[in-house]
Amino acid sequence: MSTELLTSLHVSYIQNLGKSTDDLAYHLTAHLRLNAIYWGLTALFTMGHPDALDKEDVIRFVESCWDEQAGAFGAHPGHDAHIHATLSAIQILVMYDALDRLDIPRVTKFILSLQQPSGVFAGDSFGEIDTRFSYIAVNALSLLGRLDELDRDKTVDYIKQCRNFDGGFGSSVGAESHAGQVFPCVAALTILDRLDAVDADTLAWWLAERQTPSGGLNGRPEKLEDVCYSFWVLSALAILNKVSWIDAEKLTSFILSAQDPEKGGISDRPGNVVDVFHTQFGVAGLSILGYPGLVDLDPVYCMPAPIIEAKGLRKGWKGLERRVLVT
Amino acid sequence: MHGVKRVRETPEAAAAKKLREQSKIKEYLALNDDVLAKHPTIGLAGALDLTTRILQINPEFYTVWNYRRNILLQGIFPERPVEVILNKLAPNLHLTGSSPKEINDLLTDDLSMTTVALKMHPKVYWIWNHRRWCLENVPDGPGTSTEGDVNGWRKINWDKEMYVVDKMLEADSRNFHAWSYRRYVLARMPVARPEAAELAYTTRKIESNFSNFSAWHQRTKILTSLWGSGTLDYSKSKEKGKSCVFWDDKDVLDREISIIQELLDEQSDRCMESLVHYKQLLLKNHASSVDAASLTNDCRCLLADLRVLDPARRRRYEEIGEWGAVVEEY
Repeated sequence: MSTELLTSLHVSYIQNLGKSTDDLAYHLTAHLRLNAIYWGLTALFTMGHPDALDKEDVIRFVESCWDEQAGAFGAHPGHDAHIHATLSAIQILVMYDALDRLDIPRVTKFILSLQQPSGVFAGDSFGEIDTRFSYIAVNALSLLGRLDELDRDKTVDYIKQCRNFDGGFGSSVGAESHAGQVFPCVAALTILDRLDAVDADTLAWWLAERQTPSGGLNGRPEKLEDVCYSFWVLSALAILNKVSWIDAEKLTSFILSAQDPEKGGISDRPGNVVDVFHTQFGVAGLSILGYPGLVDLDPVYCMPAPIIEAKGLRKGWKGLERRVLVT
Repeated sequence: MHGVKRVRETPEAAAAKKLREQSKIKEYLALNDDVLAKHPTIGLAGALDLTTRILQINPEFYTVWNYRRNILLQGIFPERPVEVILNKLAPNLHLTGSSPKEINDLLTDDLSMTTVALKMHPKVYWIWNHRRWCLENVPDGPGTSTEGDVNGWRKINWDKEMYVVDKMLEADSRNFHAWSYRRYVLARMPVARPEAAELAYTTRKIESNFSNFSAWHQRTKILTSLWGSGTLDYSKSKEKGKSCVFWDDKDVLDREISIIQELLDEQSDRCMESLVHYKQLLLKNHASSVDAASLTNDCRCLLADLRVLDPARRRRYEEIGEWGAVVEEY
């Protein structure tokens, strides 16, 4: 079992993802391709390898996912526009400092068109609603410098209605608190400077209770731990300045134990098949925990902190202090 | 990938597996190209069939779910172009695309197809979404507003939906997709179910598994709604005569504290945490009518024990203990 982050293995694992065209799973996940590139690229930036992919290739691929009819991005060439793929495209372009390749007014129009009368956002024209989509809209508009066009009160109002007695948030009004929804709700409120809508003490208590005896974090009471919650839970704790409310050392060991020590990548739990999603959120969690050698990850935008700072968008979150590797 | 075990393969076994996959990849990509090409020559039924085939392999292919809905909404349900021409030539023909019964049948078929898909993929958002769309598009009928039941088809489909949700929650009582969907169905079904029935449902779920937090959550919502509408049966409640039970009511807090105190020996850390929480609520909200010094001291002792019993959350116990110290100074 690894006790150190296997950075070079993870870098080559991510580099090879785009070359796995002889895997059936590669083709069956085409509907997540743009998201996968964002996850991989964010992990690479966080591990200090921003040049590990061919920048121009990636940007050209992003452009090829443009859905001209809708004025936004699908997850893959020929796929329909969706708000999630659109955020990934924007995040990739921001990381590569290539927003000039984007039709910002059209994308802004697409995003704003998805806000429902209740204030929540839909994912696409067929209208599935979710507080994750509200976050995506807020994050994307903020990165594009177009937040002034958003109906902020309506957006905040809906998120507030999703708050439960335990301090957590659900996917829609009435839904159970779920760490995977707490992150988007709290981060959206942070971007909109409305953390007053969070019951910080109750929520931080609920978040701290997510740590199981294994050291890993779960997403809801009485559920199994999973590496991706290292980010969903830690991001919200960092925003509330309460990362110290869990055992950082045990969580670090749990994430490291979920690495594939032969081929690289991180899985949901030790011994399982790795994927780029858990690789990204494992590395993201380690960054917030102050793991040595990593670049700060901004828990609000889930992007490299130096990039968010350069855009003047940094909010008042706090991770653990970056440790120095003792060799 | 969630929950899939990593197995060690010899290079030979891995290569053999890759080889076997190649024909599957070829087949899948050919189907993928056929679907996305949206050939007009294939006809509406042919196009619908292609979407069925690929969605059975990959139910997360959201573009294809959209395409399927568009085939139905723009192609099969409305008047077809050829019918427009024929109707113009011979107005007494009255060709109108799909009849309401045909539309209802198609949507019922899609609900059946996605029931099968849900059993295999109970956490795929797109399948649940498609069901919502189907339900929301069930037409009036078989009766009319003046004769028979105009909501007949809707009632059948939405009732069946409650049955499907019950089954999904039997298979996994914590599936949050199924719980969210359950709330959606309850809110939208043409004949509303009484909330008391839902309260009874949560009781059954909790009795079969006391740790089912999803059922407890649902209960918080139902009870809040019942309190709000004043329809809770207080004759069966111990809080007789009260219009509403507030969570920070002093009597309630005192009672909770004494009950938990009795359980302290069995589940010490959880009980201690609750005791601190309730005692701090007393300090915060009822400062004038409690013995603040003694409560603060209780909290301090409990938190000192918790730091040892539950070291992962040690910092939290320290911080909320500091809060207790501040109260004492007042």
